Amino acid sequence: MKTFTKLALASALSLGLAAPAFAEGLFAPNLTYRTGPFASTGIPLMDGQKDYMTLLNERDGGIGGVMINFEECETGYSTEKGVECYERTKADAIVTQPWSTGITLQVLPKTNTDMIPILAPGYGFSPMANGKVFQWAFNPPVSYWDGASMIMQYLSGGDMGSLSGKKVVLLHLDHPFGKEPIPVLEAMAEAYGFELKLVPVGLKEMQNQSAQWLQIRRERPDYVVMWGWGAMNASAIAEAVKTKFPMENFVGVWWAGHDADLKQVGADGKGYKSISWSMPQPDSPLMADVKKYVIDAGKSTVEDPNSVFYQRGLVISMFLAEAISVAQAEFGVAEINAEQLRWGLENLNITDERLAELGMTGMVPPFSTSCSNHTGHSGAWMLEWDGEKFVKASDLLMPDAEFIAPLEEANSLEYAEANAPWPMNEACN
Amino acid sequence: MEILNKIFVAPFADMIAAPDFLMQVLWEGLVSGVLYALIALGFVLIFRSSRIFNFAQGIMVVFAALTLVGLHEMGVPAWIAVALTLAVMFGLAVSIERIVLRPLVGQPDIILFMATIGITLFLIGFGEIIFGGENKLMITSELGIPTGDFVLEPFGGLLILQHIDITAVLVAAALVVSLLVFLNKTRMGRAIRALGDDHQAALSVGISLQTIWVLVWFIAGIIALVTGIAWGSRAGVSFALEVIAYKALPVLMLGGLESITGAIIGGLMIGMLEKMFEIYWGAPLLGGNTESWFAYVLALVVLLFRPQGLFGEKIIERV
Repeated sequence: MKTFTKLALASALSLGLAAPAFAEGLFAPNLTYRTGPFASTGIPLMDGQKDYMTLLNERDGGIGGVMINFEECETGYSTEKGVECYERTKADAIVTQPWSTGITLQVLPKTNTDMIPILAPGYGFSPMANGKVFQWAFNPPVSYWDGASMIMQYLSGGDMGSLSGKKVVLLHLDHPFGKEPIPVLEAMAEAYGFELKLVPVGLKEMQNQSAQWLQIRRERPDYVVMWGWGAMNASAIAEAVKTKFPMENFVGVWWAGHDADLKQVGADGKGYKSISWSMPQPDSPLMADVKKYVIDAGKSTVEDPNSVFYQRGLVISMFLAEAISVAQAEFGVAEINAEQLRWGLENLNITDERLAELGMTGMVPPFSTSCSNHTGHSGAWMLEWDGEKFVKASDLLMPDAEFIAPLEEANSLEYAEANAPWPMNEACN
Repeated sequence: MEILNKIFVAPFADMIAAPDFLMQVLWEGLVSGVLYALIALGFVLIFRSSRIFNFAQGIMVVFAALTLVGLHEMGVPAWIAVALTLAVMFGLAVSIERIVLRPLVGQPDIILFMATIGITLFLIGFGEIIFGGENKLMITSELGIPTGDFVLEPFGGLLILQHIDITAVLVAAALVVSLLVFLNKTRMGRAIRALGDDHQAALSVGISLQTIWVLVWFIAGIIALVTGIAWGSRAGVSFALEVIAYKALPVLMLGGLESITGAIIGGLMIGMLEKMFEIYWGAPLLGGNTESWFAYVLALVVLLFRPQGLFGEKIIERV
């Protein structure tokens, strides 16, 4: 039956869209990548996103009485296909979820004229945090620069000065996503006196990283920080084990913390860490509802509902659902438009109390967005692989706002200047 | 001056200063090279017998490996899963011959090449429908492949030899030897070679084109399965493996499209040289990731001097 469901889903995907548009309801398309070399990362995340919206439709009749049409458009993580999906769905969409830094950068200028908010949770261009410049772009709850800052703070034990004289390798995908933390890490290296070595991994070399790990062996770094996605992560972790790199000194970004990638090496991967702004809560009330209304009802394709990525997908859709709900309340209409959703995304207030109401206590740190702060900078936890699963290895870490904010400001203004005339939100302080 | 030092002095000084590391680089290059050579062999066999450049060889690696893992996930014991996977690859060879190639007999080579692109796209879509896109664990230990390592200390340094890699090299060598024996010592093998040497003459003495095509596509399927197990044991099985197969293209350019020796030597050369270049020149001078293009540049340089590749047959066409 499961194979049949997969067949049906894949057949639909091969036609481009997974489901026909509802005649009514809020159209919130998701630009997915369930196929291609990054599918291993995409599938659990997108299952989680879809299942959260299915839960709201099944349990609550949608949001504010309006069903959510959470249609998928398959990109295979290709920037060209992503832009095509954006163009195809933008007419009726209240939001676009591009799911790749490359696609995000391509559609970013278009959203100003199309007036559709981009929701890119935990990815995209880090200076999108500056809402004054990027009116239509949102990347809650933390940006890649926040992630780099928190990883380095964790490695320094809270004293960034202690990194002086240390050598840090950034093993990164040679792609806009993988290059995203480089400016902030270079600035930190200069400020705190550590040496930063960049080791890129080409898209064609994701599963053939022996040269990169030979280079790491020769450099003898104190730490390896990984900005990997898709098939790159499993290969890197396998190579680290093979070359006997101390796993406790190996830390990945939140997209490099997929349970399945670590299960491949099992106990040999013990000590590997991944910064994460979400935390699975298998016993949460939300998961009980997801099981009851979605999984047991045969409306899900999820394989491991307790995995970090699946539950992060649930959290991501919660951001969108909350923004819709907030906008509905503000404007007094159930069928909000894209501009009203933009207001909702700008006024997210995810408190501990709200998380408890949603049955999601501990699944994401509390945060709020504003006109000038489109990220929220919630902070994140360090997760550690214990040989069988990821466990929490730190209290909530917070990004160094004083260090990052000036970089965000300078880079966002630089972007606006390079893409002039660029509309600014002058009402934003 | 510093750049000259980085090109002509520093790399060799590094090699002398850390010979154990140089040995590790060469070993890793050899392992990659053996696997490139295996994929290239699949291309060569089909090209020799049918003049078809089989673009689908890469996806056949993924398809074979996923079938094996998929069958095992369904509860089939590992070695029975291998046998069933071989049966699937045989079925695929028969289907391709019947459905795709036979109706296109006599069509220009480019049409047949385009047909193999069609096969590639079909196998990607079909594979994703059946197996999903998630990275899957190769059933290494279930197949009895050792997973530890030998840690040696040559010159007082460190050399790590993975059992998986040693097994891959040995199995690949055995496969190549078996293939050579098959091609040179058996009736069917000689028929394949005859078809490669002179299509018309081979047909005139009663060699069945259909049978030979099924046979070479099946052998390419066996090679794909072995390659898939070897690569999959290193980093899991996913559709990302397909792109590695394109590394066989410069191997073919270098070694020649029709030469089995060329595929083997070309694969080993590219595997070792690209690793050496990346570590000693690419990373220090160009910031790394030179493996994406180095093999193609090397092959292009060879083509400038020998358009037929190092071991290819010189094509003489008289007007």
